[in-house]
Amino acid sequence: MKFTKLASATLLSLASVSVSQAVTLDIEITNLTQAQSFTPRLVIAHDDTVDAFEVGQPASSALAWLAEAGVIDDEQNADSSGANFEALLGPVDTDNGSNTWHRFGGLLAPKATLSYPFDTMGKPYLSLLSMLIPTNDAFVGMDSIEIPTEPGTYTYYLNAYDAGTELNDELNSARTDVVEAGTGNALGGYGVPGVAGGGAPTRIVDLGTGGTGVGAQIVNGEIEDGEDGPVHIHRNALGDTDSAAGASDLDSTVHRWLNPVARVVITVPAP
Amino acid sequence: MNNSIIKLSTLLLFSALLTACGDDGDTGPQGPAGPQGEAGADGQDGSDGQDGINGNSAVYTVQITNLTYSQPFAPAAVILHESGFHSFNEGEPATMGIEIMAEGGDPSMVITEAMDSTDFLDAQNSGGILGPRSMGTELTLVVPELDADDLRLTVTTMLVNTNDAFTGLNAANVSNMAVGDIKTFMTVTWDAGTEANTETAATMPGPAASAAGGGGEAAGYDVVRDDLADAVRLHQGVVTSANANDPSREGLSTSVLTEAHRFDFPTSRVVITRTR
Repeated sequence: MKFTKLASATLLSLASVSVSQAVTLDIEITNLTQAQSFTPRLVIAHDDTVDAFEVGQPASSALAWLAEAGVIDDEQNADSSGANFEALLGPVDTDNGSNTWHRFGGLLAPKATLSYPFDTMGKPYLSLLSMLIPTNDAFVGMDSIEIPTEPGTYTYYLNAYDAGTELNDELNSARTDVVEAGTGNALGGYGVPGVAGGGAPTRIVDLGTGGTGVGAQIVNGEIEDGEDGPVHIHRNALGDTDSAAGASDLDSTVHRWLNPVARVVITVPAP
Repeated sequence: MNNSIIKLSTLLLFSALLTACGDDGDTGPQGPAGPQGEAGADGQDGSDGQDGINGNSAVYTVQITNLTYSQPFAPAAVILHESGFHSFNEGEPATMGIEIMAEGGDPSMVITEAMDSTDFLDAQNSGGILGPRSMGTELTLVVPELDADDLRLTVTTMLVNTNDAFTGLNAANVSNMAVGDIKTFMTVTWDAGTEANTETAATMPGPAASAAGGGGEAAGYDVVRDDLADAVRLHQGVVTSANANDPSREGLSTSVLTEAHRFDFPTSRVVITRTR
């Protein structure tokens, strides 16, 4: 990723008339993992006042909603209203001054590629975020790259980050034998422990059920909902090979990944 | 009374006559010079000179961010140099400086080895531990302006909950940066190839080993090179004791590391900014 960045930076400096202007990019994203699906993709074109995530800094509630539940806006989940990226950025597909954003819906299966047109409305930077499922709060992120202005094709490789808003217990959120410590809430979703996953059509294998917990352990049928931030590079799922026992409900031979986890190809059209 | 006055005047008259009539005497020799006077008070200090302009130096700041979940970084060696010098080369044995840094955390010999090169320009030892998931302070380095067109950045820092893992940059090209330019690097992690990755308390200096009754300086640098190969290469990650007792037995039961100490690339972010 760094070399691509450098190459594009060099290109930029050579283009003496690099005035940012409204342009419809083609954004192609490929899921490079073998068993992690990407939730709906949040793509933001923005100025330097918008920072969707920053390593070494705590996650916003908007990032927590995206990384724990794959939720970007009110339409996806009304409970997230006021705390999601829609609240942070403004209305979808609108020039919000500092940004414009779009949610590219549906799950992106492992090894799959999709591409979308995206009008940057003249904003100079691009960020892209999507949750990895099944995980507790892993997300793939493009961190404010400078949008190329010269017509051409530009390739970026993206890493998986840990939002740090939930301990990586790796417990199947469909389980009913475990609840959140203190509240008694069922597992899964934003603000409660458990890996988000559900019956995704892109699921590679069924999750296990007997795990005792990885980043946190089950005690008397309860699991802690702690934090492990600030935002950092994800240490990868652990998993194990016992679907009825062991520490994790993920499968170590299936659900692990190594960075990079996504490839993004941006095409800047000729004027 | 009157009589005496007359006598006196007569005497005066007489002496005047003598003067008029005798030869002149020789002039006496000059008397010795008087003692030297006391020294005068010192003058006031002169006014300060003008500040010099920094016309001949290029100034850079370097900031490291630890991207790992649970691997503190030992003090970092941050070196600016010209092209041609390498603190280490993949596939080749590590220098003693790299070995000491990667096994025990002390980067000072990495810096002195660089200083021995004619390509050396400037270096900083960050001097402190950089905790996981945190941003380090900005270090300032100064090189001659003339060398800004052929500039390389080398960074080395140990992941302390490992046997001999280190991250950083190997002579990254930072040439021709203009004032205000920023370059960002996401870094990989190397295995120094100087110590077997046993992950035991007796062989690692960090807090994971300390918690298991080892750690500290004695568990750091060891002169023996007992790794699989005496060559620097990319690190394969730590095995840890996770899953050591489940049916998979994929964990390393003798490891004092836990699943929390695992890391993936990139391990650090290095941001260099030219400020002058």
